[in-house]
Amino acid sequence: MTTIRLENLAKRFGPFTALKAMDLTIADGEFVALLGPSGCGKSTTMNMIAGMQTPSEGRILFGDRDMAGVAMGRRGVGFVFQNYAIFTHMTVRENLSYGLRVTRRPSHEIGQRTALMADLLQLGPLLDRPAKGLSVNILQRVAIGRSAVMEPAIFLLDEPLSNVDAAFRAVMRTELKQLQRRFRQTMVYVTHDQLEAMTMADRIAVMDHGMLQQVGTPLQIYNDPANLFVARFIGSPGMNLLPGLVVDTAAGVVLDLGALGPSPVLAPAQAQAARAAKGGVVFGFRPEQAARVAQGQGMALPVSFVERIGARTILHLGPGAGAVKVGFENDAGFEVGTMLHFAPHPGAVRLFDAVSGVALEGASDG
Amino acid sequence: MAEIAFRNVTKRYGATLAVDDASFTVADNEFFCIFGPPLSGKSTILRLILGLELPDSGEILINGTPVNAVSPAARNIAMVFQNLALFPHMTAADNVRFPLVERRQPAAWIEARLKDAAEKLHITHILHKMPGQLSGGERQRVAIARALVRDPAAYLMDDPISALDARLREETRVELKRIQREAGRTLIYVTHDQEEAMSVADRMAILDRGAIAQIGSPVQIYDHPVSTYVARFLGSPVMNILAAQAGAEGLWAAGGALRLRGEGWGTGLGTGLGTILGEVADLGIRPEDLRVTGWTADKGQPAQVTEVEPLGGYTVLTLAAGPQPLRALLRGQPEFTVGAQVALDCDPARVIYFSGDGKALPRTATGDRT
Repeated sequence: MTTIRLENLAKRFGPFTALKAMDLTIADGEFVALLGPSGCGKSTTMNMIAGMQTPSEGRILFGDRDMAGVAMGRRGVGFVFQNYAIFTHMTVRENLSYGLRVTRRPSHEIGQRTALMADLLQLGPLLDRPAKGLSVNILQRVAIGRSAVMEPAIFLLDEPLSNVDAAFRAVMRTELKQLQRRFRQTMVYVTHDQLEAMTMADRIAVMDHGMLQQVGTPLQIYNDPANLFVARFIGSPGMNLLPGLVVDTAAGVVLDLGALGPSPVLAPAQAQAARAAKGGVVFGFRPEQAARVAQGQGMALPVSFVERIGARTILHLGPGAGAVKVGFENDAGFEVGTMLHFAPHPGAVRLFDAVSGVALEGASDG
Repeated sequence: MAEIAFRNVTKRYGATLAVDDASFTVADNEFFCIFGPPLSGKSTILRLILGLELPDSGEILINGTPVNAVSPAARNIAMVFQNLALFPHMTAADNVRFPLVERRQPAAWIEARLKDAAEKLHITHILHKMPGQLSGGERQRVAIARALVRDPAAYLMDDPISALDARLREETRVELKRIQREAGRTLIYVTHDQEEAMSVADRMAILDRGAIAQIGSPVQIYDHPVSTYVARFLGSPVMNILAAQAGAEGLWAAGGALRLRGEGWGTGLGTGLGTILGEVADLGIRPEDLRVTGWTADKGQPAQVTEVEPLGGYTVLTLAAGPQPLRALLRGQPEFTVGAQVALDCDPARVIYFSGDGKALPRTATGDRT
């Protein structure tokens, strides 16, 4: 049973604060992704959990046990880095079984566990090949297997897929998730790739500038971002965010969105929250959550760029390229220069305080 | 201006065939992507265009003139490398000026070009900084500006934004497209990122072990792949390719859970396949073309949901229905749970039909061979 508790965890390097007062509890057997741009503090957090760095403040507990002063090798964690560290002079089998051999497990157990791991990671046919000369993809798989074979209660992975190619990354996402389901390790996964976090994690901890921004399930974070950073960072493309001024009309409260004209009439709870925000309001909706409407029914902007990316079409709207983006099905026949009349789906509008960036209470209209 | 053509170009390194009888023409002002897996010959093609390598056979032409014997410098082609290669001891401005200073251009001209390139790339405010003080994205833009100032006939870029994080890549690729349009130059662009290729390319070439597997616009290639190789290589999640079993009223796949039927199925007319229906070995179905609905007894054999991946705007389902898993891409956040039984359906007109050797079967209005 291993929960991980971070209490008021902070890390400073001289005058630079890498991590500020982080509180996070990761349940036993849970898969949590630490997600954020480079420099957000996610790897620092991971390194402290692993015992590679010492916290400047705060505590890390595994179960009820405080990890302060416990050396890395005694924490019982498995660790996989971005740059796999594989023994190139050994075969795949020797690499996979390395930890078991060092800890002097009985030979039949070594054989069994190595074979099982090779099977799970589809390394069976390569077991007797020397690691030297294998592709980057395969080496990263060996690195994961070598750590996982020890069946650590806690498994830490720091950007393990960022050096492998896209097709292989898709395969590995599925395999890592299956691996975790099988062994039920508590998994902490550092990544800057939201697709990896969304598809694998039970919960995502979004970080920026050394601060935890939001913790939640992938859909909680996508649907109800806690602030402007999360709204922009999650989603592909991110949420459309337009500054607006509260205006009363006969039909109800709307936001004046400048060049875009008035927003749709706000739901009552949103109208109240918008009025209470003294410094102004940011109007948000996801690109995928908008539909075409009749002229005069919604907002209108000229199409400035059409990106058709496989299954989806992303329209960039506005005089300034990329001011607003909306996602549509393919074959809708959009042309650059034509006017698009569109409106967010009912329930898709989110409001944020323009000064603090924080989502407004009752901001969800659905 | 520059039109760049390969005619039956082959390049070997020892026993390795790096470029295999490649022929293509990149039109003037075209944004042309070269897309392929690692070691498929992408970078070798760039080196051949630059003149850093010579073909073993075949001809390379720039504006219709063979250039096999023309030196790299005389080809007037600018290159932006993957590793940026900025001079660390020079400011961003001096880095951008460098190609012009080296060519002893007049100072006023150099400053005008610098100003123009800096504005196009939105780097005016960072020109005084050293490369070490810039973020990855800023360094990238400086490197591109340095290629722009020379005013070459064509630009080559080798995976220029692969080092940036995802959000910045999304923005930079749109930026690159805008710059290419405004600069009005031929751009040959190597990438391993399919989203990027589909977003920016006017046309793209997909490589398979040095040979060109298909050339066309991203939409053409995505909608009409010529082979299972291309079909699998472009698209995320990967296209479902399922063994087809022909029956009296249509084709079955995925262990019986997916049946294609429509008017005229008995004769194959409904598919536009006509007389070649009998050659269909595999069905290619894009994950977004697979319709998933709740299962009821009248809908034939059920499939089972084995994985649900919510991406917010989309949801990916993994389905068990036969010997291999299927992937479906649904819009929004439909409420399917792991273990649910579902019915599968697909519009036969959206299916790609492959023969036993992995080639897409051509369809005509009547489906008969022409």
